[in-house]
Amino acid sequence: MKTNDIIKILKENKKIADYELTVTEKKSRELFYVLKNLEINRATEITKNRITVYVDKKDKRGSTTIMITSSDDEKSVVKKVNDAVVKASQALNPYFPLQNKTVNIKEKCEFKEDLNEVALKIGNAVFKADVYKEGWINSTEIFVSKYTKHFINSKGINHSYEFLRCEVEVIPTWSNGKEEFELYKFFESAKPDYKLVTKEVEEILELAKNRSIAKKIDEVKLPKNLKVLIQGDMLNNLVWNFASELSYRANYYKVNHYQLKDEISGVPFDITLKGVDKKCSNSCPFDQNGVVLENKKIIKSGKAVSLWGDMQHAHYLDNAATGKYSILDLKGTELDYETDKHLIISNFSSPQLDENSGYWGGEVRLALYFDGKKYIPVSNFSISGNIFEDVKKMHVSKEKAAQPDYTGPRYLIFEGLNIF
Amino acid sequence: MLNKFLKSRIKTAKSLVNELSKSYDYVSVLGSYAKTKRIVSSTKTTGIDEMDNECGFVIKVYKDGRYSEYSCDDIDGLSVNTVKKAITLKDVPEFRKVPVLKEDKTVKSYAREDGHPLGNKEILEKLEAIRHEQEKYNEKIILSNLVYIKHEVSKIFVSTNKCLDQKYDWINGIMVVVTRDGNNIQQNFHTENEADSELVLKELDEVKFREADVALKMLEAKPIVPGVYDIITDQSISGLIAHEAFGHGVEMDMFVKNRAKAKDYVGKYVASPIVNMYDGAASALSAASYFFDDDGVEAHNTQIIKDGILVSGISDSLSALELDKEPTGNGRRESYERKVYTRMTNTFFAKGKDKFDDMVKSIKHGYYLCQTNNGMEDPKNWQIQCTAAYGLEIKDGKFTGEIVAPVVISGYVVDLLSSISMVSDDFKVIGSGMCGKGHKEWVFVSDGGPNLKARAKLG
Repeated sequence: MKTNDIIKILKENKKIADYELTVTEKKSRELFYVLKNLEINRATEITKNRITVYVDKKDKRGSTTIMITSSDDEKSVVKKVNDAVVKASQALNPYFPLQNKTVNIKEKCEFKEDLNEVALKIGNAVFKADVYKEGWINSTEIFVSKYTKHFINSKGINHSYEFLRCEVEVIPTWSNGKEEFELYKFFESAKPDYKLVTKEVEEILELAKNRSIAKKIDEVKLPKNLKVLIQGDMLNNLVWNFASELSYRANYYKVNHYQLKDEISGVPFDITLKGVDKKCSNSCPFDQNGVVLENKKIIKSGKAVSLWGDMQHAHYLDNAATGKYSILDLKGTELDYETDKHLIISNFSSPQLDENSGYWGGEVRLALYFDGKKYIPVSNFSISGNIFEDVKKMHVSKEKAAQPDYTGPRYLIFEGLNIF
Repeated sequence: MLNKFLKSRIKTAKSLVNELSKSYDYVSVLGSYAKTKRIVSSTKTTGIDEMDNECGFVIKVYKDGRYSEYSCDDIDGLSVNTVKKAITLKDVPEFRKVPVLKEDKTVKSYAREDGHPLGNKEILEKLEAIRHEQEKYNEKIILSNLVYIKHEVSKIFVSTNKCLDQKYDWINGIMVVVTRDGNNIQQNFHTENEADSELVLKELDEVKFREADVALKMLEAKPIVPGVYDIITDQSISGLIAHEAFGHGVEMDMFVKNRAKAKDYVGKYVASPIVNMYDGAASALSAASYFFDDDGVEAHNTQIIKDGILVSGISDSLSALELDKEPTGNGRRESYERKVYTRMTNTFFAKGKDKFDDMVKSIKHGYYLCQTNNGMEDPKNWQIQCTAAYGLEIKDGKFTGEIVAPVVISGYVVDLLSSISMVSDDFKVIGSGMCGKGHKEWVFVSDGGPNLKARAKLG
């Protein structure tokens, strides 16, 4: 069903106080390889229509979200909207407004290349690094997707944003002659970067090689208070936890450990939330309520300086909505670690963080221990800490990194973690 | 009853199969429709959403040793050329020559509806009543969150030889209790899962104070002293071990890619002789109990471990074809937008003969590990990571009242399974989980079993 026809139905329903409509179109091309041989290729061409209707009763507001699908015609959409009005009236919450008319965003993605060809080129970039006898990429999955997101609400907002996403999953394997060892790598970018793909695959093959020759942790004498360097998904979990602590939502539900103006750490660090960063594939200039995302510093020199969040929870706390961000930038106090003994955690099985207790850690599939002279690969052990304590001595590396939703130092550096 | 829209597209799917069969050696069309009703009663907010979160089709074709797929919202008016254009590669790289799928002639309809469907208002009122009582139970309870979720799934599968349709419902009830004492915040969650709305709400009501007590007890939790301990697992942790530690390793698309150590262990001991393990959409009535999989293969009940010996893996159609095995009905997609992989369904250890009390009495110093939190597979190297939300200390055969949280189980899969020395006569399959393959491709699964006594590294 066309967007204008859906809006007409929403406007004609006089019981609806407000509405939001998000239309997401996706066109993707996907390749699945076993070793260097293509096993299957896929194409996806779909559209999703998501509607939230708001109903007001005195000082209360109810909302219900529905999807309009290919199964719907005008008659069924009218029925779905009427049913949604009834449901919204049955589940009322304190009132909150929607985002008012603001500058409408129109951003086009100028990328015109054939997506199948891009996917094939990414495949070639993967296999450019797959050149060893003892090690290889066992399976590769490539997804090249072009999205158009269109947001419209009853207050006159009409944003549209097109973007590209290139996603690659590779499983590297390395044999030490007796046994084969594998690791896992998933990475994505906002545009095709074939050199980066080759570099990522070279790095993960090197790590798989290290896992195949890794010693058990008890074969290596670790000093007390060893510097431990954390990166990737675990880093991401830890830094986003600080942001979550300062969200309007956490404050409204009183599940936050930090208050505004609290000193989180005596070792200064800054966190700025963003909607857009060229290095991040999660970039989007507006959030799910159409709020345009301006950069927002929430932690400055280790102190909580600002809260942030969506329309609903901002209103409940009598604050201005900043929007719900998708990118976090970290600046911390750098520490020279290179010449000291240290442990770089390369791969966790599955990074764990309990946001209530602050417990974090997990089983380590591969780490590199620097004994003062050389790096020794180690595996089959676990680490754990408590982030609310560990942050008080948290430093960062000079090296930088970018993830889909993060920019900043490549490593967080901690001391005094449990290693077992 | 099968979704009307899908029913109306069966004829179209047959025409499309006929048209595409002029150019391809195998053609199938899978139509998928999934609706989720979600009703929430929380300390500070409430809500009712009803989303058709999936409605679309996948066309699968085979030609010259290669499979291709096209996913779309509708097949009505879809031209053969649109499909061909989307899946045609100008520069075909080297590809893996796979045999063509052969299917027996089957025409069948299946259905399983909610045992006692309830109206939105009634559900919300029941959730609110439970929440109010839980909130009043103790002043340290700062948040009580009750969620009712009903999944309604309809699917059609049409190929030259097959025309299948199915409709099934599954209901999850979720309870989250958050407690706070100063800056100490803890959370406990509990799920009830049935093919019956009334039963789910009744069971949530019955556990409201017990689960609140756990959330309050967790305020006393300390970190565990890392070490090797005797453990007893609750049913959810038994299920987590079955699923994460071993189940992923017997998904036979991993055998095709030579990614699973289990491939070399078929017919060998992988666990203590008192261990038996199963998987299958037909092996239990739970979250993954469909009638046919996304390849159009009927649900199976597969015994994976028999008396400690690995006897079988599980497979989707393509993996089975490549390995010259019969498919086990484990071909699943996250949605019509994604590819089929071999996936677990309802995965569990079979019950044994031991009494839980005897298991506790047999422990000198160890922990009763409760409530699944998280786990991660390592099919190639069989390393374990399974996390329990909390553990209760046992000393000299008695619970001491001490609680530790969270608890991470790590080690080597075969060491853990071989250390199983007692298996209880209790049994429960818990159907509220979702499982990813790697870090994506999420599908509904269940797991569980009896209590297990084993020895494990905890941290």
